[in-house]
Amino acid sequence: MTAITMNRSSLWAVDSRTIVYSAIGAALYGVLVGLFKVPLPGTTAVDVRPAFALVPFFGFAFGPVAGFFTGLVGNMIGDQISGWGALTSYNWSLANGAAGLLAGLAPLYLAGWLNGSIGRKAAAGAVAGAVGVVIGFLIVFSDIVKDGLDFNAALGEYVPAVVGDLVATIILVPILVYAWEPVRERLGR
Amino acid sequence: MNFVPRYLGRGSWLAQRDPRLLVIAVACFILAAIQVWDIRVMLVLTALGFAWYRQAHIPFRAVRRQWLFAIGFVTLIVIFNLVVASPDRQLHLREGAVEHIYGSIPILGKPVSDATVTYAATQWLRFMGMIAIGFPIAFSIDPSAFGATFARLGVPYRFAFAIDLTWRFIPSFAADFRTTLDAQRVRGMDLAPAGRTPISRLKRQIPVVVPTVVNAIAGAEDTIDAMDLRSFGTGRRTWLHDLRFDRTDRLVLIGFATLLVVATIAAWTAGTAYLWVPPFMVPGG
Repeated sequence: MTAITMNRSSLWAVDSRTIVYSAIGAALYGVLVGLFKVPLPGTTAVDVRPAFALVPFFGFAFGPVAGFFTGLVGNMIGDQISGWGALTSYNWSLANGAAGLLAGLAPLYLAGWLNGSIGRKAAAGAVAGAVGVVIGFLIVFSDIVKDGLDFNAALGEYVPAVVGDLVATIILVPILVYAWEPVRERLGR
Repeated sequence: MNFVPRYLGRGSWLAQRDPRLLVIAVACFILAAIQVWDIRVMLVLTALGFAWYRQAHIPFRAVRRQWLFAIGFVTLIVIFNLVVASPDRQLHLREGAVEHIYGSIPILGKPVSDATVTYAATQWLRFMGMIAIGFPIAFSIDPSAFGATFARLGVPYRFAFAIDLTWRFIPSFAADFRTTLDAQRVRGMDLAPAGRTPISRLKRQIPVVVPTVVNAIAGAEDTIDAMDLRSFGTGRRTWLHDLRFDRTDRLVLIGFATLLVVATIAAWTAGTAYLWVPPFMVPGG
């Protein structure tokens, strides 16, 4: 049951399918996030993380619960594997989760696009992911309170992170939708 | 990089504790540390974090890479905050405290003072303490006990099960990823960074990322069927690991709860929420 056929009442369902897809998303994100990084020209420590596209994709394809879990737990695992610590930047993990959750709410604000061709669905995935990234990552401004960062420094974290994740989302989410749709139909889901 | 959850602290004092204690300790420590701006208190907290870490007996050579990343990243964040901060930012100085300017950063013109340097040092210590106390969660909890740990901490059992499942999936997905990578290399794909733009570099990674993801999702059906056949989600479930706080766990738990309460009270009454500048940093002090 994907977001593409999901109705409003089933958006928040937590069944075995949601649990397994959530776990798959989080495990893949946790594993891949540290492996692939593409530096953004003109920045010092900003990378495009292709694996981030998994967060909005899992939200878009499997619902807001799976999207939230993929972002939250996947980011915590990635942080823990890298040595940063799962809870050191818990607000960033929440921001990742919020991005996935908002992408998963696409049926509420992009309903018309989801019933069209695969091209429209792929475009809807990119738009939903972009909305999730821009709004969800506002949570990182809590670093002002949590870590004592200055507003400029928090903005200096937010903008590059959002730009990098937007690039990954806009390019990779439509590709993942294109790749997943035929498989989904073949599996009868 | 090794993605298999490594139980490096096996047999240590921390590994013998109830795993819930390790999670609660981190939460209490972080909530306590974020209220403190007095570097003397922060030094004590950081020392506590490292003392806790030592009890995990994690071989340094096994986590050297993680420590190098953590130290480098913390330093980068702290310097970035020092460099880009606006001159009128909140430095948690006591009312009436005087800031002594040493000079300014060349080109950027940002002032550097006794307060900004102390602020950065306190921030750095805080991050290091938080990382030290958080490290044992990954390496000193039995990987098979993760689900039970979070379930007993109040996480709804379906999500606790998902956390458990996530840890179990990681090694197999890491193996699938390597297989996909090898398969694409055999076909002549070159993953070495090339191309002028980030987009062209990103495109080079698609042949590895997409098959790994789609294979993982398509292969989920067996797990879903197995769970459905065992009536997952129809009622409360028990866990193989029966977690119990022993006497030591309770004492340590009380210790961390006390730390949080004391840090909160001290922040309101004893001024630990204000920056303390060491006298030797004050010019002529």
